Amino acid sequence: MGRARVIVIGAGSTGAATAHDLALRGVDVTVVERGEIASGTTGRNHCLLHSGGRYCVTDQEAGTECIDENLVLRRIMPDLLELNDGLFVATNDEELAYMDGFLASCDRCHIPARPLSRREALEAEPFLTPDVLAAVQVPDGVFEPYRFCLAFLATALANGAQIRTFTEVVDLVTSGGSVSGVQVVDRRTGTRSTLGADVVINAGGPWAERLASMASVDVPVAPTPGVMVTVGRRLNNMVINRLNTPSDGDIVVPQRTTSIIGTTSWSVDDPDFIPIPPDHVALLIERGQSLIPAVASTPIRGVMAASRPLISRPGIDARDVSRTFECFDHEPEGMDGFVTISGGKTTTARAMAEKVTDIVCDKLGIDAECRTSEVPLDSYRRFHGRGSAARATAPGSTTLQPMRAP
Amino acid sequence: MTINATIEIFRCDPGGANGRFETYEVDVHDGATVLDAIEAVWAHHDRSLTFRHACHHASCGSCSVRINGRETLPCIADLGEALRARTPVRVEPLRNLPLAGDLVVDVDGAFERMLASEMTITRTAEDELPLDADGNGGVATRPTRVSDGLLRFNRFENCVECGICISACPTMATDQRFRGPAMLAAIARARAESTEPEVREHLLDLVDGEHGVWRCHSSWECTQRCPQGVMPAESIMQLRRDLVRRRSRRVPR
Repeated sequence: MGRARVIVIGAGSTGAATAHDLALRGVDVTVVERGEIASGTTGRNHCLLHSGGRYCVTDQEAGTECIDENLVLRRIMPDLLELNDGLFVATNDEELAYMDGFLASCDRCHIPARPLSRREALEAEPFLTPDVLAAVQVPDGVFEPYRFCLAFLATALANGAQIRTFTEVVDLVTSGGSVSGVQVVDRRTGTRSTLGADVVINAGGPWAERLASMASVDVPVAPTPGVMVTVGRRLNNMVINRLNTPSDGDIVVPQRTTSIIGTTSWSVDDPDFIPIPPDHVALLIERGQSLIPAVASTPIRGVMAASRPLISRPGIDARDVSRTFECFDHEPEGMDGFVTISGGKTTTARAMAEKVTDIVCDKLGIDAECRTSEVPLDSYRRFHGRGSAARATAPGSTTLQPMRAP
Repeated sequence: MTINATIEIFRCDPGGANGRFETYEVDVHDGATVLDAIEAVWAHHDRSLTFRHACHHASCGSCSVRINGRETLPCIADLGEALRARTPVRVEPLRNLPLAGDLVVDVDGAFERMLASEMTITRTAEDELPLDADGNGGVATRPTRVSDGLLRFNRFENCVECGICISACPTMATDQRFRGPAMLAAIARARAESTEPEVREHLLDLVDGEHGVWRCHSSWECTQRCPQGVMPAESIMQLRRDLVRRRSRRVPR
């Protein structure tokens, strides 16, 4: 028997990190992605490297996962992060009253947290609302979602993985209660082909349910979009959060030369195209102003929305659904060789990959330790810049040779 | 409220053969961008359309195309404005990079150049909040030192590696071995960040020669079209000055 063969569906953060983990453990892995890398949910991301502060009060499990992974990502992709910390700011008595519980929750989740006075907060962030009463500094950070995925995939490529973009899964190959491959269509040529695999991993994010239905199994993923508004000037250096339970428009994430106000939350049936509700944009600008008044005078640069792949629980509102992740092995439902990984955050993508890869390696009888929390990632530029010999996407090119005209 | 848009998109076979324009009519939400319209064509009309996109807020640099003849990031291009300039809106792939299919160009060579530039994606930030996203001076110029804890802030580079300057550059069109504005600007940034003289010298070697900074015809298209205010042309001129200074240092007196 040759090397075990695994197909990962989806090249968002979960699929990218999973491909990296599998390749490191010596598995022959192919990623199939119907669009470009990170063209679904991951790309349209708030770019927040969570400290866990956002969840620690209401969802201790998610809070702990976030700080653990935050520290791992600082180790494996140190050059790919803006590391300026974050502030949770109280602007009224109710929010000030939230502070003690917040600090206790940070402590419980092992999130380093430092209370700042009003003066200290304003000194750090001069555009912060003068209404600020106090703040807590936590190790939030910022990433760039496309490059986050490229770094995992570049490393996976170097370890022998195959990445096929513009390759859409149109069906799963099933026989006798087991998935043995995928049927794909190359969007560029329209050609249909079958790829065989010992295990197929569904990392389809909000499309996970649609993919699972091809194997007649169910995953409880609820596509839950959120709107984010980017303004054309960087108004803060640190991530600014409202010191309260998560709600609409309570966070401003700085990135590059911009600040990104988020988010809202609603439900959709079809995650393929999400029309942006204009009232959400207006709401975010209004709420953003209450944290950073200069938002009012800064032009909007971009508006985006994408579906979070939340694990749905009957009778629970989307805001209250845990941001933790879950791995669904479909074997007990009578479908072997098929595993879904969903929920979670981009911040926790590596941990999600570890969990699903553990399960898959167990299925395949592969005895290899996960090393992704220690192995530094290659430069994201090597995904495109190593030449495409290992990659079935575009015509090749070579080191600093002429760039060919069309 | 919705916008009804007519959009003309360049289509071709993989590798670039059979190039043609196809026209689509889409309904999209009020305030939509040109990228929203492209995505709507894919979602509602033609699933074979290939285009690159990820962040939808001008940070990833992957969606760059030409809209009505000019290089632009469609994720921040207002659809209504594009329609007022030309109906149907015309969307084409970037120039000076190998065409892979429809709106997709092969960026391998461009990323190899960025890799060789040694510019890291994070820069040690200024003591002041940076300029606005278009590179204009902003009001955000008050000092932002934290009293204790953080020593310095950092942030991502302005350049999003979108390839717009490569497409807009007339020199790139005539000399395919030209290092190109993105790489030259990146090298200028890497030299500014580096404290090691050997690295700074090595980078200067990379930009010298007939395919380096001397090839530039000073058309300034790169600086004009850059969506991020990077100003590659100014960097090229700075590198020329640095090279001249180095040469004159070596002239025996």
